[in-house]
Formats: sequence, structure tokens, C-alpha cells
Amino acid sequence: MADIIRDINLNNPTQRQYWQTFLSELDIDNFNEKELIGIEKIVGLFDGERLVGTGAIAGKVLKYIGVCDRGATSKGARFNQVMTTFENYMATLGRFHHFVFTKPRYIASFKHIGFGVLAESSLGAILEKGLPDVHSFIRQLPQMGNQTSRIAAVVVNANPFTRGHRYLIEKAATENDFVYVFVVAQDVSLFTTAERQMLVSKGVADLKNVVVVSGGDYMVSYLTFPSYFIHDETTVIDYQTTLDARLFKNIIAPARHITRRYVGSEPLSETTAHYNQTLAREFDDSIELTIVPRLNSQRQVVSARAVREAIATDNRQVWTEMVPETTALFISENITALQTRIRKGQKIDGN
Amino acid sequence: MEIKKTAMAGTLESSDVQIMLSQGSDGITFDLVSDVAKQFDDAIKATITAVLALYGVDNAEVKVVDKGALDMVIKARAMTAVQRALDLADEPNWEVM
Amino acid sequence: MATEERLRRTMMFVPGNNPAMVKDAGIFGADSIMFDLEDAVSLDEKDAARYLVYQALKTVDYGDAELVVRINGLDTPFYQNDIKAMVKAGIDVIRLPKVESVEMIQTLEKLVIEAEKQFGREIGSTQLMAAIESARGVVNANAIAMASTRMIGIALSAEDYTTDMKTHRYPDGQELSYARNVILHAARAAGIAAFDTVFTDLNDEAGFYRETELIHQLGFDGKSLINPRQIDMVNTVYEPSQQEILNAQNVIAAIEEARQKGSGVIAMNGQMVDRPVVLRAERVMRLAKANHLVDMEGNYIEK
Repeated sequence: MADIIRDINLNNPTQRQYWQTFLSELDIDNFNEKELIGIEKIVGLFDGERLVGTGAIAGKVLKYIGVCDRGATSKGARFNQVMTTFENYMATLGRFHHFVFTKPRYIASFKHIGFGVLAESSLGAILEKGLPDVHSFIRQLPQMGNQTSRIAAVVVNANPFTRGHRYLIEKAATENDFVYVFVVAQDVSLFTTAERQMLVSKGVADLKNVVVVSGGDYMVSYLTFPSYFIHDETTVIDYQTTLDARLFKNIIAPARHITRRYVGSEPLSETTAHYNQTLAREFDDSIELTIVPRLNSQRQVVSARAVREAIATDNRQVWTEMVPETTALFISENITALQTRIRKGQKIDGN
Repeated sequence: MEIKKTAMAGTLESSDVQIMLSQGSDGITFDLVSDVAKQFDDAIKATITAVLALYGVDNAEVKVVDKGALDMVIKARAMTAVQRALDLADEPNWEVM
Repeated sequence: MATEERLRRTMMFVPGNNPAMVKDAGIFGADSIMFDLEDAVSLDEKDAARYLVYQALKTVDYGDAELVVRINGLDTPFYQNDIKAMVKAGIDVIRLPKVESVEMIQTLEKLVIEAEKQFGREIGSTQLMAAIESARGVVNANAIAMASTRMIGIALSAEDYTTDMKTHRYPDGQELSYARNVILHAARAAGIAAFDTVFTDLNDEAGFYRETELIHQLGFDGKSLINPRQIDMVNTVYEPSQQEILNAQNVIAAIEEARQKGSGVIAMNGQMVDRPVVLRAERVMRLAKANHLVDMEGNYIEK
């Protein structure tokens, strides 16, 4: 008899235990809250009462995919059934594009059902399937210059856009023919994605060789890359930053002849320092990495986090020193709304 | 006719084919992954293109994952996908069947 | 009556959205193949299953099997399009689930006629059958069986029926005893086929034989099946004995003798052979042929 798909409910301790045991046997044993949060649906494939396959959906990401082929009619049949279930479920919600983060040894299985590799390393891989995909993303990026131009890229979250961001982009603009500024598109910050994008655009409007674009699904915070299949917590950051660097180097940069990348130095954050190191290692000779020292305001290093803290404590003087006029004006006009977001629980100590 | 929304039909199971249709601007373009030999690729594309033509669709991005589907299965899945993409699922176009 | 006598021992369910099973449905030797657009297909895939079965009916050679489709119920949004697509594809029989009244069959017939006209099919070429799945359906079974000249059979569907009866299925089948007898009588009185319900526990072979022997004894034409493995098991139960075949051969010989003499009366051993005996003899010979117990000329083959 065919295997049956049923939902698995993690709030039920018995089901949760059974699910975790099943995955642990398949060498997936990281069930951190950070990984489980955001999961909207988990399905199990059952042969009678025996769990033989599972997977979870969190937004655009499929995770915790695990299949046991013991007793299956043919190799891969259960994997295909689980994946079909997800893809058809997401299609009913109007979602036709998804990502998988997985161990390198499963790349072939995913490619076999239409996934394409975005980046891979010995620790893990990012694959995507569906539309719009990375090719659609690249197609809609404006084209500037040609092969002979010196073209640079800057990736910012800009939560909000500060004088530090301005300094970094301006430096890139003077040293290159053209600059792409990619604004991280994930909407999880104090300033919404639309607000951040708008503030960056206004803040660099006078720089004629700079174009501000959305980072889409391809320049996201690497910290959000799922790491549920990585045992050793200390290698997680290496896995995340390496994939981020390779995706940029191998797919995004060549599509627009980008040969330089500018990042801010990070005296305060070990994670970002690690990220910069990884970029330098991965880019090697193909992309020139410029680490620009942080700008200092009168009292302290300019940082978006300090601006957010100043908003929370209503310290106008601090944020005025740290942001350009365009951002300052927006903050003044929306100060109540911003402070309300913080009061309602919006975190300001992240990025 | 223009594709109104991205739509998908079929499964990844043996003997089936999964077809995803999305708006296109450059004729019918294919991205095809198949379990069977490369020589069948053209036949698969031809079948799907013919179904799209029946509905007057001449611009579409088509993603196909073939699991060894017979021609009649490809036809049925293409028909389902295009009716979904054109919002005709509840009101099939009987003339083209 | 729309029905020419044919063997209907096995009606195999085939999930309508499964290409592997749809394409191979003909290779197991079921007397009837029932493509399911109803319970075996999830709500989001109703359209997909409909077109898959449609294409299969247009292209796959299912040999001599009778082709049946279980459409979605009258109260669903899929009902009308299922009818149109299946009539257009030239299905032999439409099986309507959850039938409780004559009106339901009449409504179906009306829509089938419309579809036959719309798609240029011969009026009356699409046959119908009803699945009885509730107490109301059982109570009205006689009328339902005679609701249309297109009716070829009625079937008991026990899962929903036992739920409606506030019970469930038991190994001995006592809970189905009344329904089985009612449906069988309704079918016989209307001159159509009677199908027994599915047996779902694939691991209980003894239970399957017990149930099949029971419905064979009662007089059912056959049984709905969910797995091809069950086909041979049913056929074994329905296999005529050597003695039955010899008797049937004698009756057939008597018919032939009467035909050659130009006599209207068929006689055997000095007795008149009446119609039920002729029909039974013909049925036994069909069963014997289907089970490969006789050769092309009707001679018994020793096993």
C-alpha cells in the first residue's frame, strides 16, 4: 500500500519526540529554537504507523528533509513524494519559489527534481527551485558600464542609513566607474524594507554613478541561513559566510561585471569580522575586497545600532550626528511611529 | 493569451511530470530536467508547446521535471497547468481538449 | 435494459491522479477498471485528475475491460465538469457516489444527455451505476436500481454506510448483512449487476477469501477492489466447477440442437430448458473461458 502523508504537530510532545528521533537517526540533530522558529508546517510520510520521511516549511525555505528508503518500493520514491507534497502545498498558497539548505551529499537528489545550486562548500549548499529565480533577479538588475568598466558593489541593511553607509558608498563611487548598492530585503528590522531602500536612495541621490537595488532573495543576512544539519556550532558561522561569499562571487558579481566589493571594518562585532575574513579568503583574486575603516562621529563609532538606541531613548542629538539630513528628517517625522514599534517588541540590538 | 499567474501541475513521482508555467516575454522558454534520455527532451517540449498553442499562449517560461511520463501524461499535466495559469480551472475550455 | 450480460467479478479502483497506476491499470486483468476522481484525489488536484483520466481514456488501450469512472458527488463543485470531461472522453460507465434517491440518478442522466449532445456522442452510450453509502440509499435501493435504462449496476460502499449506521466493519460482516441483501435484490429485480464493497486489509488474505466466498454465495456479480493482487483471488472464488461446466456445455449443446432443428423449444433429457437455466449456462461458460478452464471451442481443459 502506498505511504500516507500526515501533518506532524511539534506541540504534541510524543509526535515531537518521534520526529526528532527519526531525524537523529538520519544524522540531523540540531533542534534549536532558532531553527524551529518560523516553521509553518511539518509533514510526515508514514508506512503504516512508521515514519519514513519528513520535511518542514519556513517561508520560502524547506528544511529538516529526511527520508528513510528501507522498505520503499523504489529508491527516491519517498523523497519525491515528500517534496511533491510541499511543492503542491506551496502552490496552493501561490508560492512557486523555494530554497533548500542541505548537506553536500544530497545535492544530486535535489538537482534531480529540478533544483539548481546557488552555492556550495564542503559544509553545506544552498539550492533553489521555481520562479522567479536567480536568473529573473539578475535580469531585472540595471546594467551599468561594460566589461572594461571598474564596477563595485556594497551590501547594506541600512537600518537606518547612516553617515557611515554614506561614507562607504561615496568612497566606492569615487574609486570606481559604477557602484551597485544592494539593500537587504528581509523585512525584520526596525525600519521596514521600503523605508530602508528609500533612505538609501535619498542618501546617495547625488552620486550619479551609484544605483540602489534590492538584494532580493540573494543578498540576505547570512545569519538566517538554516544550519539544522550542522553538528558543530562553531562551524556554523563559517558555513554561513562561505556560502554567502560564494553566491556573490560566482553568480551575482559575474552577471554585472562586478570586480570589487566594499565593506565596513568591524571593530565591535566578532561575527562581522569573521564575515570580512571569509569574503577576503573566498574572493581571492577574482574580486578585490576593500575594508573601509569605520567612520567616527564626535563621540563614538557611527553605527546604525547606536542610531536605533538613540531613537529608543529619544536622544535626538546622537542620531543627528550619525545620520545624513535625509535620514534625520525621516526619523523626526516618524519618531512616534518608530518608538511605538520598539515598544511593541521590535528588537533593535540585531541588525 | 498572456499567463495571468504562475501555476504548477503534476508531481515528482515515477511516470509523472511536474510542469511550472510563468509569465514570459521571449516566446516559450524551457528549463527541463529529465530522468529519461536526452533524446526525448524535444518531444516533451513539443507536446507542451502544442498544448500552450491550443490556449493561444505564446509567451511563457516553462520549468519541467520529467519522471518518465508518457506523452498523454505530459499533455494532461500541461493542460492542467495552463488552465490554472489562465484561471480557467473551474471553467475548462472544452473545445481544446 | 442497457446491459448486455458481461462478467463483472472485479472492479479495480485506480486513483485518478496517479499516472503510474492509471497507465498500468489494464495489465492486471480486471473485468472493470474504476478510475477514481473522488476520495482518492485531494481537493486541490481534482482538475489534474480529471484531465489525466481524460487523456488516459483517449490514448491508453485497456483491452476488453469495462471502463468506469467514479465522479465527485452531486453536491461538489467538480460534479458537472467531471461529467462533461468523462462523457467527452467516451467513458463506458459513470459511477455516482453517495446515491440516496431516484432524483440523483435522474439529475445525473439529464446532465449526461446534455454532455452527449454537446460533444457529439451517441445519446444513451454512457451507462450509469450507483454507489449506495447510507441507510437512505439502502432504503431506496429498489427505485434507484430502476431509475434509468442506463443503469448497469449498483454497488455497496461499506465505509460510509457503516458510519451512517453508527457501527464499523467487523470481520464477520454481520453489520452489512441487510444492505447486501437489499442491494442484491434491487439489482436482480432491475436486471442489473450487484457489486460488493472493498476489503481494505491487504494483510488479511483469509478474511478476504471469507468475504468473497460469502458474496459469491449470496449471488453478487463481483466486488470492488483496491489492489490488483486481489483480482486473482476473486477469480478463483468465482471459478466454476468441472461439473458446472459440463452441465453448461450440455445446455449449450441443446440450444444449438434446437437452433439447427428450427425448434423454438429447447429440450434436454426430455425436459424443457427455460430461460434462467440458459442464462446461467451462458454465464458459467463465460466464467470458464475467463478462467481458462475451456479452450476456444468450449472443451474442458484438465488442470
